[in-house]
Amino acid sequence: MIDIREQEEMLIALGNMLEKKISCYAIGGTAMMLKGIKDSTLDLDFVFDKGEDREEFIAALRKLGAKESDVVIVYGIKENTPIMLELGKARFDLFTNKIITSVFSQNMKERAKEIHEFGKNLIIMVADVHDLIIMKGVTSRQKDIDDIITVFKKSRIGWNIILKEAEEQVKLGNEKAILSIGEKFEILRNQKIIDVPLSFLDDLFNLLRKQVKGKSKEKKKRS
Amino acid sequence: MSLFFFNNGLKIEFVYILLAIHLTLHAKKGKVYILWLIDLSMRTAKLMKVAQELEGIYTVDTLCKRLDIGRTRAIYLIHRLRKVGMIKTTYVAGNKRLYFISISNKLKGISFTDKINEATTNQGIHLSGANIHFIHGREPSYEEALVYALKQDSVRYIIASLGLFRKIKDWSSLYSLARKEENSFVRKIAALYDVSRLFVKKVRKMPKRFVNLAMKEKDNGWVYVIDKLYSRDFENIEKRWKVHIPLNWGDLEEYKR
Repeated sequence: MIDIREQEEMLIALGNMLEKKISCYAIGGTAMMLKGIKDSTLDLDFVFDKGEDREEFIAALRKLGAKESDVVIVYGIKENTPIMLELGKARFDLFTNKIITSVFSQNMKERAKEIHEFGKNLIIMVADVHDLIIMKGVTSRQKDIDDIITVFKKSRIGWNIILKEAEEQVKLGNEKAILSIGEKFEILRNQKIIDVPLSFLDDLFNLLRKQVKGKSKEKKKRS
Repeated sequence: MSLFFFNNGLKIEFVYILLAIHLTLHAKKGKVYILWLIDLSMRTAKLMKVAQELEGIYTVDTLCKRLDIGRTRAIYLIHRLRKVGMIKTTYVAGNKRLYFISISNKLKGISFTDKINEATTNQGIHLSGANIHFIHGREPSYEEALVYALKQDSVRYIIASLGLFRKIKDWSSLYSLARKEENSFVRKIAALYDVSRLFVKKVRKMPKRFVNLAMKEKDNGWVYVIDKLYSRDFENIEKRWKVHIPLNWGDLEEYKR
């Protein structure tokens, strides 16, 4: 676990170590810390647009003494796993656009308006709260549900944004997106933890129905 | 007689032993009260939770109301939160203090909005609202803040940015920063500088070299600082630089106060 200050100091050191300007997107706990929603995190998650930028980032981390860590232990055998490095108490998870099942879409990039510059050369754009919810919504870990609740308590949510992005995620290949998000929100609504509008759940269900219909048509065409 | 409670983690044991040595040196009658450490760590954790729950802007009075506590206790809470770096204080009209409570205050980075506000003491001009661009590990320059303000395409930012001209010293760095932006950016800066000379006190003279470089851009034709907004009151300055200024006298009256 590292706290806000330790994270800041580590990123400043990294920014000063980098030889050229690099920009990336902060997601997960790191984004929540930069937004002041959370005070500590287990891992620092970053998404890179370009593979070269990630390589530069890794090189700078190694110069600071970071060691590679075993992805399989943390994520199991899955596609789109990150490159993982450990530096002190922190673990860096470095993705390129695809985050396990989710895709860091173009809309997500446009919504990441909050910018943090660390040291000379590190520019971090922080993922929007809606996208944090979506990315946490498609996993199956309890801590992610807790994070969703925290995000809801701290921010104003535009349900339409979540709806559109869920649809976009399906288009981009994350077929379980609508189902997983719908399931989580229904549980949170039933347990009266979050006041989820019924119309939102209905809309999600309609999207799911549309997705299923599309799939069955595809199957018929193939056969 | 001293008594030790060990937790499972090695780290905590180590801290306890150190504390025991420290306390034995000062303890009277050989008694060691190790509960103090537990109490302390609880407090820090509690403060973090309190800050998370309270996140927002308060005066002492509104904090009293929110928590239903007395003034003294509210001031003590503010003091404790400040000690752990979770409070930022700003002053508003009448020298009233506003306390912004957030765990993100623990970050030492400075936002460009704060930097722009730093340039003027006039509370009426200060920008408020969400900060979205932070610099960590170095102090952003006033030149960078000016370029940032102009890029926001907002009248509020343009008004606040005029105060920055008082702080600009490194014109060559301002020029090179402006050149990285669109073609007519240097000219826009020069035009707004002329406006600032009319309202802001103690603005230093713009170097001739900067004037000449900005004049060269005039061949590119008229440009807007903010799209489709122009001035009725600063037509002379507009004609001099071929830049439409999105301000009138009335917008800048706050500078005269």
